[in-house]
Amino acid sequence: MNLKAFNLLILVSSLLLVTSCSQSPVFKEHETVYKIGDQEAWASKNWNDQNWKGRITQMQAGQVFWSRTQIDILKTPEPLRPYGLRLEVYGEYEVFWDGVLIGKNGNPGQEAELPPEGKLWTTFGIPTHLSDAGKHVLALRTSLLYFPDHTKIHELDIDYYDDLFSDDLVENAYMHIYAGAFLIVSLYFLFLFLSNRQAYSTLIFSICCFLVFALTLTVFSKEYIPMHYSLHVIRLQVLSSFLLGISFLIPFYFSKQFPYPKRKPLLIVYAGILIMVFLVKHQAFDFTAVSMGLGMWIFSFGIVSFGAYNNARGARLTLLTLLLTLVIYFVTSFVISLYAGLGLILLSMLYLLTLQRKSERLAYENSLVQSTRLRLELLKKNIQPHFLMNTLTSLMDWVEESPKKGVLFIEALAKEFDLFNQIEDRTLIPIAQEIELCRTHLEIMEYRKEVSYIWEQEGIDPNENIPPAILHTLLENGITHSLPLEDNTIRFKLVFESNDDFKSYTFLTFAAGVNKATHNNEEGTGIKYIKARLTESYGSKWNFTSKATDDGWKNEIMIYS
Amino acid sequence: MNILIVEDESRIAKRIERMTRDILGNTIQSLRHINTLQGAMESIGKGSLDLVLLDLNLNGENGFDMLKSAVSESFHTIVISAYRDQAITAFEYGVLDFVPKPFNQDRLEQALKRTITNEKTEPNETKFLAVKKRQKIQLIPIEDLIYIKGAGAYTELFLTDGSKELHDKSLEKLEQLLSPIFERIHKSYLVNMSEVKEIIVKSGSKYMAELNNGEIIPIGRTKYKEIKAKWV
Repeated sequence: MNLKAFNLLILVSSLLLVTSCSQSPVFKEHETVYKIGDQEAWASKNWNDQNWKGRITQMQAGQVFWSRTQIDILKTPEPLRPYGLRLEVYGEYEVFWDGVLIGKNGNPGQEAELPPEGKLWTTFGIPTHLSDAGKHVLALRTSLLYFPDHTKIHELDIDYYDDLFSDDLVENAYMHIYAGAFLIVSLYFLFLFLSNRQAYSTLIFSICCFLVFALTLTVFSKEYIPMHYSLHVIRLQVLSSFLLGISFLIPFYFSKQFPYPKRKPLLIVYAGILIMVFLVKHQAFDFTAVSMGLGMWIFSFGIVSFGAYNNARGARLTLLTLLLTLVIYFVTSFVISLYAGLGLILLSMLYLLTLQRKSERLAYENSLVQSTRLRLELLKKNIQPHFLMNTLTSLMDWVEESPKKGVLFIEALAKEFDLFNQIEDRTLIPIAQEIELCRTHLEIMEYRKEVSYIWEQEGIDPNENIPPAILHTLLENGITHSLPLEDNTIRFKLVFESNDDFKSYTFLTFAAGVNKATHNNEEGTGIKYIKARLTESYGSKWNFTSKATDDGWKNEIMIYS
Repeated sequence: MNILIVEDESRIAKRIERMTRDILGNTIQSLRHINTLQGAMESIGKGSLDLVLLDLNLNGENGFDMLKSAVSESFHTIVISAYRDQAITAFEYGVLDFVPKPFNQDRLEQALKRTITNEKTEPNETKFLAVKKRQKIQLIPIEDLIYIKGAGAYTELFLTDGSKELHDKSLEKLEQLLSPIFERIHKSYLVNMSEVKEIIVKSGSKYMAELNNGEIIPIGRTKYKEIKAKWV
């Protein structure tokens, strides 16, 4: 995904959100007053409502009540462009404008008898002759069967009737694009996860994107999915749940990217706090949303700061992004900062994921190079000059002095070459093959060095596998760095032990004059080869030690299960 | 001739020994074989050797330190090694020859003959002269060398910075190792000809070479014609 384009999208949508909310209003709303009862005259513009209350207490469900709101139209509408009235009010109601019935939303007073009707968000046209600049009165005849304590006009907007719809349309279009982008990202990373089930970060990111998509879609689908007011709490609960998921998953994701001590207990505590906030003030949805959002921000900020403090890759940029969302929160409203902030945070998460994938790719490429290098090193063993040229020189001598022995020497050499050829492209070979390689090598070295080499083994399990030529390398080192005992022998012993926790190969050299200095000096290429091979096949689950003993040398390879 | 073979491969050591005996016959006074670096260093330090046949890779150890001390001694060193890429470095240090493994008797003979015939080394790649200085070996770049003066069994190296160093090798041996720009203008002098400013003829058929630094060195009567033909 093109990060720049994505960034731009979020910028544009947040700008639109800002501009759509900042047009200068054409009206001024005064305090709404209420009265229980039902009189047609209460709709009229000049009814004296001075004894009406600012709020209604103790009302029976379904009982009819009236509300009156004085509204000052600040600007007479342009000709042929009537004003419209946008309402978000709980209940079923009739709408009177200056005493004239301009619309009906459901059946006030008959809710119990009739099925639910009407929508939570409604728009009514205001007659042109009643929309001149000046004082007007909006009167609602309402009944509230489901939430009798929610007598309140939640939203009231007056604007050009067309603009009320077209503004929503534009806002909705952008927010749907915003949501769609996250849906695509979510699916993409879900597929990535399905192709690599170990990559939990991709899954978390995918779920986060999906939740943001779902949240956005749920919020901005209200314009075209009509909903009765009785269902609104369910909608809010759904929204809160989405937000709960997001609020937990984002810091959880950061925890995976920037590990810190006591991660598990801290995450559990955080999850506990979130659930508490979610449940305790369950009906106060705005409070819940703000609390969860802030909680998410604070916890994430802590984690990312710790990451930045430890110089984790990408932590600084993520920290900057988080600070930017804070700025947006202070400069704009919660709703705008929620979407803009979530967009930015998800973007930084995507960035971290890209960094992670990059380092994974590099590690993979490195491992390929490493494997090739090890393979070459194995191949080189038999053509490196010290082995090859010394062998050939000895061979020349044998051929000149004792041709029959020379032929046996050539046969041993051919066998070692053949064995190397067989194991050349393998990462693990049967232990028997490795031992054969060692024995053949000893045969060759006997012709060269005229030392009697003795091979002993103990507890070998023929079913075991081992990386190629690692014992061979130890054997080479043993031959190179030691001198024969008084009876002109050097003895090698391989001991295999295994239990539930580990397998171990102990390789002992019994010789005189083991050269401790060079043995101990900086790690030779042989030892590096052994370690690289062990890492290739066993990751970090191995240990290799090599040290002098009283009668020679001891190497130990431990492979943990 | 006292010869030392330093080689950790028993079969190869025997081969060298056998061939050396074949080639040099009864000119050999002693011929010994040593298979460890430490033993070799001790033997070299004792002196009285005329030739060392040296393998550079003994028991997995790098033999270049050993090579440095070998070339600082009075005897000639011939390297016998499996690593052909070490040949250039070996020659730079001033070995008489580099015999790559595997080798046959002809190749070894070619190398050993040089010790007898005083033939110059083929590539003339010698870049340093190793000098023993307070238990340490110092490598003196050839380009710092103005002339060398024979002083009995050893030689004195006169350097561009005006200093003087002692070398254990004889003038003959050094002449063998150094490039032809070093001319034996006198039985006791080996001079870098690029440092010679002019040749002065004095009365009584005395010839002198004036060097760039003003020093004057005698030219052997018998050498004069040869030098004049070659350099003037």
